[in-house]
Formats: sequence, structure tokens, C-alpha cells
Amino acid sequence: MDDAVFGALVATFSREAEELASRLTRALLEVEKQENGKDALAAAHTELRRGLHRLKGSSGTVGLTELTELAHEMETRLADHPRDQPVPRPVVDALLSALDQGLEWVRGKASKGTRLPDLAAVSRTLRDAAGAAGTPAPNDPGPERSRPAEVAPAPAPTPEGETTSWRVSAAHVSSLNGDVERLREIALRLEDQSREMTRWISLVPRGGADDTADPLRNALLAARVSLAADATEIAALVDSMDEWLKAVCTLPCQTVVEPLHRTVRDLARQLGKQAKLSAVGAEVALDRRLLEALRAPLVQLVRNAVDHGIEAPAAREAAGKHREGIIAIRVEQAGNEAFIEISDDGAGLDEERIRSTAVQRGVLSAEDAAQLDPRQLNALIFRSGFTTRTTATDVSGRGVGLDIVADAIRSIHGRVEVHSVRGHGTRFVLSIPAELGSSPLMLVGVGDGVFGIPMHAVRKALPADPARIRTGRSGLQLEHDGALLPLEDLGALLGLRQPLSPGEGQPLLVISAEGRETALAVDTTPGDRWPVVRPLPEEIRHLEQYLGAASLSRGEPILVLRPAWLLQPRTPDVATTPRVLVVDDSLTARAAHRAVLESGGYLAHLASNAQQALEHLRHGAFEAIVCDVDLGEGMDGIALTAAVRSRPELERVPLVLVSSHDDEAARGRAREAGADGFISKKDCAGGLLLAELGSAIGRRRRTA
Amino acid sequence: MNAPAPNENEPALEDILERRAARARAAPDTDQAETTVPVAEFGLGKDRYAIPLATLRAVLPLKLVTPVPYSPVHVIGILRARGQLITAVSLMTLLGVKGWRHDCAVLLVVEREGGRRVAIDCEHIPRIEALPQRAVDQARARGAGPVYDVTTAELRTVGLIDVAALLARATEAAHG
Repeated sequence: MDDAVFGALVATFSREAEELASRLTRALLEVEKQENGKDALAAAHTELRRGLHRLKGSSGTVGLTELTELAHEMETRLADHPRDQPVPRPVVDALLSALDQGLEWVRGKASKGTRLPDLAAVSRTLRDAAGAAGTPAPNDPGPERSRPAEVAPAPAPTPEGETTSWRVSAAHVSSLNGDVERLREIALRLEDQSREMTRWISLVPRGGADDTADPLRNALLAARVSLAADATEIAALVDSMDEWLKAVCTLPCQTVVEPLHRTVRDLARQLGKQAKLSAVGAEVALDRRLLEALRAPLVQLVRNAVDHGIEAPAAREAAGKHREGIIAIRVEQAGNEAFIEISDDGAGLDEERIRSTAVQRGVLSAEDAAQLDPRQLNALIFRSGFTTRTTATDVSGRGVGLDIVADAIRSIHGRVEVHSVRGHGTRFVLSIPAELGSSPLMLVGVGDGVFGIPMHAVRKALPADPARIRTGRSGLQLEHDGALLPLEDLGALLGLRQPLSPGEGQPLLVISAEGRETALAVDTTPGDRWPVVRPLPEEIRHLEQYLGAASLSRGEPILVLRPAWLLQPRTPDVATTPRVLVVDDSLTARAAHRAVLESGGYLAHLASNAQQALEHLRHGAFEAIVCDVDLGEGMDGIALTAAVRSRPELERVPLVLVSSHDDEAARGRAREAGADGFISKKDCAGGLLLAELGSAIGRRRRTA
Repeated sequence: MNAPAPNENEPALEDILERRAARARAAPDTDQAETTVPVAEFGLGKDRYAIPLATLRAVLPLKLVTPVPYSPVHVIGILRARGQLITAVSLMTLLGVKGWRHDCAVLLVVEREGGRRVAIDCEHIPRIEALPQRAVDQARARGAGPVYDVTTAELRTVGLIDVAALLARATEAAHG
């Protein structure tokens, strides 16, 4: 075979091999677990056998005979073990080691390296080990009784094949991103033009004696169809380009978290401990450059957790803990920051030992050390050369590690914090600026707005059942899984309306963050999306309610809510501020009215049309209503005034109409409909509106 | 299309061309020439305002703006413009509501310091005008901003807005 062709085949196969190795590693880690039931073990066995078979077949197709033979040997070795029993750990160690060497061999082949592992020797070792081990015991003795002679290193990151990828400047990708966004705006403009054309068509006269208008109408119809089709096609292309760009720029955190399972397992075995890793939020996608920079610090922190944090099984039992320690990784993207938390349930930091070590090593004087608070003490562990170990091992004790973590995080403009409780564990929190990145969002509708909630915070979505809703002292509560959760109306939380009791079947979400849970009532749940979440513009970045904003395919931004804010304890609203309902179809007019009313000590609730206004009025009491006469489509302000006046419960609510048209006829219509006041928008200076409103309220009170 | 050549039989036309040529030949009196500041001028209620044309990046219809609950009162919402997420602010609210003739239908995207952009609302698409530099300088010398009352040659008063300073003042007020 031509060398170039063979090289291309191997390069392609090496990517498949990386993916296969990752799956095989995951299955090998499952197949050794004593706690797994028969079904889980059988599933892991099946995954392993299929994966090895595929490795054998694919390598054979490319002509990599040595790897084919190794895969065959691994299959044979695995076949010795019953499918519904755990595979002994020494066997898993040997298979993991063989897999690592097989992968290293493939990488070497793909990069045309010369120093490749001897796969024939690896196969022989596997065969010999099988002969020596004999029939495997159904229950593995565990790490205390059996240690691997050599713990294989965790798989290395995937090398970028020179021949199959490009190196592209990040600035160019950012420009491309900007262009795609602009293209989306063009698609939206085309849609608008198509709608405008529909209006033109409606203006072409119909039913005339001659058909002179028909050719024009037909031409416009054809042009509109063509325009709409182009808009749809461009919008679809933009969506596709967005997805591709996301794939180019980001990767799920899974890619750096997955190999850590192996790191924990191997190191725990080496140290005679029991530990496992659990990960939450690993599906969050982050900028590839960040992930690459995070790889080494994460390995270091996880190794530290196993080595320094997790106690030996006997010590854990003596402390009332499970023999097996847990190391947890939690990833969350919050607007322009990503948070990665690495925690363990181990011994925690020994502050007194850190203090005495700092003095012994001359880092601080005894007097200065005595002054340090826990936060300052914990910060010392990030100093270069600082270790509380008296002897160095091959794992730790040289004081090198956390300083490298701190340096690496600083290099990507992030920060690292440590929190620890003696006897209960340690938590490292890495905060990293993340301009790029996407995370799954659940979309929720409230009124005519749509918001996003990070999917990782949504525990459950369920329809409201009045039998499970109670009224407590502090508000509504939802009975859920045997507990009572606070139940809040999202519209009210956002200040968009007065609190509503959820109707039967209305969507409820159970939200969880920072160890707390609450239930939220929303109007609709339009679905879920996986958009890029961007930071809010600087003018409103201080708002704690939001993580950032994402754009939907229509182009309009949606706000992404911060789960921790949704869960903040709140005092019940005692409604001391008088509320005024503002009804205006103009966004800027609503903003102006809100500014004026708030300056006058009122709280403004906003509605953009009559329908929304009636909905507000159905659920809450208002001190007064300020309403535009011209409300665009649907019922106008005069009709709304009449509708309000026709309802006995609203009959006495003061209502001031505002209008761009100021003439006696308009004022007369307002009076006839039952308005208490009328003011022209051009006279709508702050003082005049407040004065008109005050007079209207006063008149109503006097007549009451 | 070719321009028609002057015809000896058309003395009137020849006169016109000669006068034009004379005007073109006359050297401009640079001391007398008025330097101007190009601006985008628009009405808001009864008043006229302007922003330096050099800071104007786009004029957009006021739509697809997402309101932001809990935002300061002068913030209308956020929108995407030219690939960026930007804040739309109500100029009317920033300047103190004094009434308006038409509901704002247009957003002006203005570049602030550091390449950041912000959108401000106005009632109509602005007109491109030129304010005398001298009048602008005098207005700046007289006032502390962020709105400088510039008197034009036609004796109109136009409020020249320093958008960055106006926003900074609003932010300061919002944060107490």
C-alpha cells in the first residue's frame, strides 16, 4: 500500500481507537465493581466484548496486525470470566495496561514515531498472567490484599494530527462567530421584508372591473414566496453554522473529566485506599483552550484528594464514614464564568499543621502565623515548595502541585479558592472566565417573556396538582417526595406580576442549587435548547438574577436565570408600595412611565396589550391604571377602559389614559369610556403625569 | 452618458459655466471657512438632540428587544446587533422624561469607549447635520455635560449628547 494512503488510514483509525479506548476504559472500570448487580455487570461485559471486537476488526482492516493480535488476546483473557460476575482487579489492571500500550502504539504509528511499545510482548504478558492466575475467584480480594505491580498512567490527551486538522487563530474564529451572528440578523431582516410584502399585497385593490392589479399581485406573491424561502434557508444555514462553530470552539468537560475516573481508581489502589469519582455537569461545553489548560490542574487536584484527603478505609470506618471515599467534580457555567468544584469527603485540611509548617519552613514568623484566619492559612498551601509531608513519595510531599495548579489557573485569568472542614473534607473551587461555551437550558415562559434555566438545576418538571399544594405561613408549599418545598410564581419573583397560585396542570419545576430545593410555577415550558450563553452587556452585568443571555434561532436574546438566585430565601411581600398598572404597546413608553411612577413612589407593573392588562387585573389589586389609547393590534385603550369599568370589582380603580393625539374628541371619548384623567404624551413630563394620576386617585377616593 | 458640450449658440449656458469656473478657481479663505462637527440629529419631544456622527454605528428598528426585569429604569432591554449583545437604553428616561410626540421606533447603536456599544432610542431616523465647531467648543466651555446646548447658525438649540458621560451619570445614580 502507498505510504501516504496507509498514513491517512492510520490517522483516521487512531481517532476511532481513541474513542474506543475511552469506552473500553469506562467498561473495564465498571466490570470490576463488586457493588454492581448482575445486569450492570453483564452490560459492561457486553460493552467490553463488543469494543474489543471492533478494535480487532478495525485494526485488521487497516493492516495493523500487532494491534489485532493484542485485541484478540484481550478478548480471550476476558472470555475466561463469567459475564455476570465482577472481573478480578488484577485482571482489569492487566487489561487496562494492555489497552494503554495498544493506544500508545497507535498514536506512535499515526505520528510516524519510531519508539513504539512491543505489542507482541504485551500479548505474551497477558497470556502468561492468565496462566499464572488460573480460574478467577468470583470475589476479588480488594486493594488491601492485592496491589498492582505497576499502575498504568492515565491515557494521554488526543494528539492533534497534523494532516487532519488546521491550526486556526482564535481571533479568526471569533470574527467568524461575529459574521454568523450578522448573517442571522440578515435572515431576520429578510423575514421582516417578507411580512412587509404581505402587507403590500393586501393593499393591492381587488375586485375591480379590469384585472390590471392582478399581474402586480401575482408578481408580489411570487416575490414573497421566494423571499420567505430564502429567509428560511439562510436561517437553517445559520443554525447549522452555529452548531459547527460550537463544535470547533468547544468541547464537553467530559473529555477532561472522564480520564479522572481511572486516575482515582489507580491511585487509590496504589495507596491502599478506596475511592470513586462522581461528576455532575460534565456535559457543559467549554472553550477547548480552557479545557486544555485545565487538564493538568484537574489531575493534580484529584490526585491530591486521593492522596491527602481520602483516609484509609479503616480510618474512615472509625470516623463513621463509608470505607470508600468520594471525590466529586461539579461543573457549572454562569454567564461569562465557569465554575469547577473538586471536593472530597476526606479528612479536610489540618489548619494547625499548616500553621506550624509555615513557621518551621520560615514562611512566616510564629507571631504572624498566629494572626492568620482560616482563609489565609488555607491560601498557604498554594505556595511553591509548601508541603506538610515530612517525606516525599512518588505521589506527593515535594511541595510541587498546588502551586502549579494556582499558576495554571492564573494563566487563564481564573482564580482558585479552597474551603475545608476538618474531618469532613475539602472543596476547591476554580472560577474561570469563559466567553465561549454552551450549556443545556430549559426554556420557561412567563407572561410574554421566555427565560432559560440551566438544565443541571432542574430536578423535575411536573404538572400542578392542587392536592399537593399547601398554604404555609411563608407562602405556598409543594408536597414533593415526602418534603414540603417553597413554591413560588416565577412571574412574581421577577417582579412581572403579583403572585399567582398555580392552576391545575400548570407546569411546575423543582429547582435545586447549593444543596437547597424550591418549586417554581411557570406559564409554559417551550422545551430545551443547548445555546451558547454569553455574558450580559456591562451596563447590566451586575444583576445577580442572571447568568447571562443566550440567543434563540429567531435572534432575540433570552435571559438565563441564576439558580442560586431562584433559591434565595425571601421575606413575604407585604405589598406596602402602591402598584400601578402601565399598559402601553411601546417599550420605551413603558420605560418612561415606569421611571416617572417609580420616582413618585409607585411600583409599576407593565403590560404591552389589553389582554395582558386584563390578566394582571384578574390576579392582583392596583392603586391605579395608566393606559395608552393606541395599543396596536387588538383592543385599544378606550375599549379596555370600558371593559375595566364594566367589572364591578374594577369599577373604582382610577384610570388615566395617555395618547399621542391630543384633541377634544379624544378627551371626550376617554371621558365617555370612564377614564378619570387624560394626558397627551407630549405633555407627559414626570410632574404632570404624577399630578394627573394623583388627581384621579383623589377624585376616586372622594367619590368612594 | 456624455455631458453636453457648450454650444456657441447658447450664450446663457456659457455664462453659467464661466461663473461656475470662476467660483471654483477662487481660493477658499481658510480663516473664514467654518469647521463643523458632523452629527446625527433627532427630535425628542419638543427638543432637538444630536450625537457625533463618528460614534454612530447603526440605525435599527426598535424591535426584538428583550426587557430585563430588575434592570435600572433607564434600561429598555437587550438586543443583538451586528453579532454583539448590547443594552438598549431610554434616552428619554436618561434625560428626564419631558414628554414625547411619537413612541420611539428607532434605535441608534453608538460606540462607547473600548469598542463597547450601546443603543439609544429616538422617535425617528436621525438627520445628518453639521454643527459649527466653534459653537460646539463654546457649548462645551459653558456646560459641564453630558448634554451641551449648541446654538446653530440658524439660531436653533441642539443638545449635543456625550452618551458615555450620560450613561456614567445614570450608573452612578443607580448605584446611589
